[in-house]
Amino acid sequence: MVQNTGGPAPYIYVSTRLRVRKAKLLAPEEYQRMLNMSLPEIIRLIGETEYQKEVDELGTSFEGIDLIEVALSWNLAKEYQRVIDLAPGALKEFTMAYLRRWDIYNVLTILRGKMQGMKEGKIKEVLIPAGSLDKVVLDRVLGEESCERVADALKGWKMYPTVAAGIQDGCAAGSFAKLENELYKQLYADLLTIARRGVKGGSQFLKFVQLEIDIKNIKTLFRMRGDGYEEDAREFFISGSTFTPEELQQMNQMSSRNEVIDAIVGRISSAALLSALEELRTEKSEQEVDAELTKTQLDHMEQLSKINPFSIHPILVYLEKKKYEVFNLRAIARGKESRLAGDTIAKYLVI
Amino acid sequence: MAAEAVAVEVAAATASAAGLKAVGAGLAVGLAGVGSGLGEMGIGAAAMGAVAENKDMFGLALLFTVLPETIVIFGLVVALLLMFQ
Repeated sequence: MVQNTGGPAPYIYVSTRLRVRKAKLLAPEEYQRMLNMSLPEIIRLIGETEYQKEVDELGTSFEGIDLIEVALSWNLAKEYQRVIDLAPGALKEFTMAYLRRWDIYNVLTILRGKMQGMKEGKIKEVLIPAGSLDKVVLDRVLGEESCERVADALKGWKMYPTVAAGIQDGCAAGSFAKLENELYKQLYADLLTIARRGVKGGSQFLKFVQLEIDIKNIKTLFRMRGDGYEEDAREFFISGSTFTPEELQQMNQMSSRNEVIDAIVGRISSAALLSALEELRTEKSEQEVDAELTKTQLDHMEQLSKINPFSIHPILVYLEKKKYEVFNLRAIARGKESRLAGDTIAKYLVI
Repeated sequence: MAAEAVAVEVAAATASAAGLKAVGAGLAVGLAGVGSGLGEMGIGAAAMGAVAENKDMFGLALLFTVLPETIVIFGLVVALLLMFQ
């Protein structure tokens, strides 16, 4: 790992750059405007923003919703790779580890696409090479015929052992849900290990990762309760933060939502999360709960980035906000294509 | 003999006063320079970051970067007062 020896200046430089980029992200009013537009108008508007280069480049090969999808994915991947290039010293390692989730997304997309017999080109359209597996590696993996050979092509990837252990079962069952769980658990375990290694700035990264694990676990818990899943759910929870999988499993079996919220509130210290949980006491749908928790997570991350202005936080906040910008634009475009009402689409947006 | 000794003492006292003034002037400029340099490090890094993202920020960024230089001017004024009063 490259240690930063330039004092605080590189941290200040990168944090400022990413703050400027964050300020360039679309404002909430822009989304409101888009909700009242037709799909071609939305494409034109997106083509006038930071996505212009991608929309122009891909305009000849794609059209309509496909153009938006691919342009957004390309832009996201390009932005993330730029952030990795910019990040100094230990922050680069944290950023790369954090972005490894995109590798997981890409590998699972390829595996699922292959399982369903989709064409290479179609799978490639939805890949987002924002992590350590770049376009070249992903093309090589895509070129493999069978499910097992896809795993072999990933030799050398940090998560290859986890893939190798679960691929046989996944291919046989035709479902990769278990492998997905294992990969994400491994990802968070790795992130916690890196954060606890004593590198400068690690404690701030640890706070960020633990917040994310907590929110993810709480979201999973509410989703399970919504679906009425009452079996042993420990394998779906991530350990390493405030709650253990056993405690979450107990909460899953509680009868009322208020009881669950009481149990969570008793252990959490984050004021933002506490007020969000209090709001969830009213009968809200699972999807509203999800959106509420995501907003709380972003607000809390933003707060952390203000408390620690020259740390990993401004970088991660930008990565997350950029992700949700792409998510929102995609939701608006997809919703418009399906002729959904503006109000319905608005419920899915993270603003 | 006694007059000579007094003359030497007076000369030595004058010389040491002038020397201390020079040391004071040096410290005034030197420490002010170090202080403003430290301040400019953070401002300069942030300014470079802002300009890299938005070229229109150049003028404003430059202005903010050189603001701590005023402290060096104060140091220089104090040094000049010390040397020429």
